[in-house]
Amino acid sequence: MANNVITPRSPVVARKRVSVNRPPWKRGERWWGLLFVLPMTILVALFMIYPQYGSVEIALYNWTSIGSQPTQFVGLRHILTVAQDPWFWNAFKNNLLYTAVLVPVQLSLALVLALILNSPRMKLKLLYRTVYFLPIVTSLAVVAIVMRLMLGNFGYQISQAFGMKPPVDPISSPNLAMLSVIIFGMWHSFGYNLIYFMAALQTVPEELYDAAKIDGANNFQRTMFITLPVIRPILWVILFLAVFGSMQVFEQSFVLTRGGPYYASEVVAGYIYNYAFTTPGSLRQPNIGYASAAALFFSTLMIVFTVLQYFVLRNMNRKRD
Amino acid sequence: MLTKTLAKTHLTGSGKGQTNNRLASIIRRLTELSIHLTLLALGFVYLFPFLWTLGGALKTPREFFTRGLNALPGGEWQWQNFADAWERASFGQYFLNTIFIALGTVFFTVLLTSMSGYAFSRLEVPFKMIGITIIWIFFLIPDGYSILPVYRIVKALGLLNTLWAVILVRVAGGMLFNSFLFYGFFRGMPKELEEASIIDGANVPQRFFYVMLPLAKPMIATVALFTFLGSWNDFFTPLVFTLGRPELRTLAVGMYAFVSENTREWTLICAGAAISLVPIIILFIFLQRYFVDAYAAAVKS
Repeated sequence: MANNVITPRSPVVARKRVSVNRPPWKRGERWWGLLFVLPMTILVALFMIYPQYGSVEIALYNWTSIGSQPTQFVGLRHILTVAQDPWFWNAFKNNLLYTAVLVPVQLSLALVLALILNSPRMKLKLLYRTVYFLPIVTSLAVVAIVMRLMLGNFGYQISQAFGMKPPVDPISSPNLAMLSVIIFGMWHSFGYNLIYFMAALQTVPEELYDAAKIDGANNFQRTMFITLPVIRPILWVILFLAVFGSMQVFEQSFVLTRGGPYYASEVVAGYIYNYAFTTPGSLRQPNIGYASAAALFFSTLMIVFTVLQYFVLRNMNRKRD
Repeated sequence: MLTKTLAKTHLTGSGKGQTNNRLASIIRRLTELSIHLTLLALGFVYLFPFLWTLGGALKTPREFFTRGLNALPGGEWQWQNFADAWERASFGQYFLNTIFIALGTVFFTVLLTSMSGYAFSRLEVPFKMIGITIIWIFFLIPDGYSILPVYRIVKALGLLNTLWAVILVRVAGGMLFNSFLFYGFFRGMPKELEEASIIDGANVPQRFFYVMLPLAKPMIATVALFTFLGSWNDFFTPLVFTLGRPELRTLAVGMYAFVSENTREWTLICAGAAISLVPIIILFIFLQRYFVDAYAAAVKS
């Protein structure tokens, strides 16, 4: 039908049409396509796919430092040692603690602030958004260094100001070190969630609010029964990202408290780093085979964790719907 | 029409309602005021670490201690600290290294990911579906724990202890996410834009560089901004790849090393931190709309 219309009218147009519709690879496009994705393919293969295999290989050996050659084949012994090392589980517990405290507190605060800033009457929105987003753009490591300087020298005064009796030095107290890491992490990444929530709130159609207003719903009711249900799908994404990001915690502890005092605030990434590279002041014997095994073990736990989280969220979503 | 009238009566109410309304508006004003005061006070606490850093960079070592948590220096402002940090503590070198790495990473990331994103969305690519599937799988695998094999590859390439190593690893790390962003962007563009140039006989690179890429400016800006920020603030990659060569350190790594070696040079540490933080904060304040949009767009997609 379509052919019948085009061909008799104008052969020129028809020929051009055909050239547009012709399978592109016939005009050498296939080679260009290949060439265009080649750099990406090589980089991904070398730096993402191969390393997954490479870590497994390294984990099977005793290997003192990255510059040297492996000294001994140990098979799966490293993985078993990691799984039985109380210090690994101590670090893992700190990862969980970090996530379990940071995520709910940070998300609720961010949601409340986003709701306040989303109100149409609100003034100075831009100022607040700038202020609370600002830490995100700054280097976690550099800010952690400065915070270490502040807490290390004046932490005593800060705890005094917060009414702590007796005042303590937070980063050298076994109880407060991890809390400092959590608060610092919460401060630094708060802005992400604020922006995510603000973006989510923009997606709620204005008409829904108007309808609710007519029905006499107050602010609180509107939030509970309109805003939150509408943005629920995005909420899950935000939650997922927050949990995933929190489990990757590294600089917050590595720089701020150096994992101390006596590993009280050490996280898994720091544990791995300490075995992988010679760290001044570390009591651990570097062994990249062991570090690799720890990394693998942690990756496996993370994948299980991610899959579980995915299924739990999906189930919860299903039940609601 | 009917509902509107109903709503109006409901909202304005009777005479008694009006006094109530006045009271309500006073309460509302007070609530608003208290919200603003709280947010401003919290905002000050929020930014205090930065103010304290800047203040610390302008103090004498003695003042650093006596002033404690007071951000303001007591006496004259010590601008000399910046010069000392720049020269003596080689923060100038670190600054240049950081810029070089950030710009190099941005250039190659934008070029390579826009190419692959374009190819995946518009060109015939062999094994396209397999490629896209692999991209999805690798999104789900937590990265960052494969640094040791990466280190071996960089060593095998003979790039160890060069700034290019950091650029290469950062560019590779950004490949999937940014290709995906470009893929989505190009796929959403109308085909007609390109068809005109195909009829004019333009080949693939011409179509890409002269037609499609200039149209992708918003996405280029987003990817460039993300990449620049990530590279400027990265700590782990430059830390690992400059372990043996102090002159290759970036600001973050240089700061870390400086603190370990000179624990007592507090004011220089603050000046170094300010050198690292201030440019990015200024950049953010000027481009903040783009920053915010970029993050918002990322979570939406």
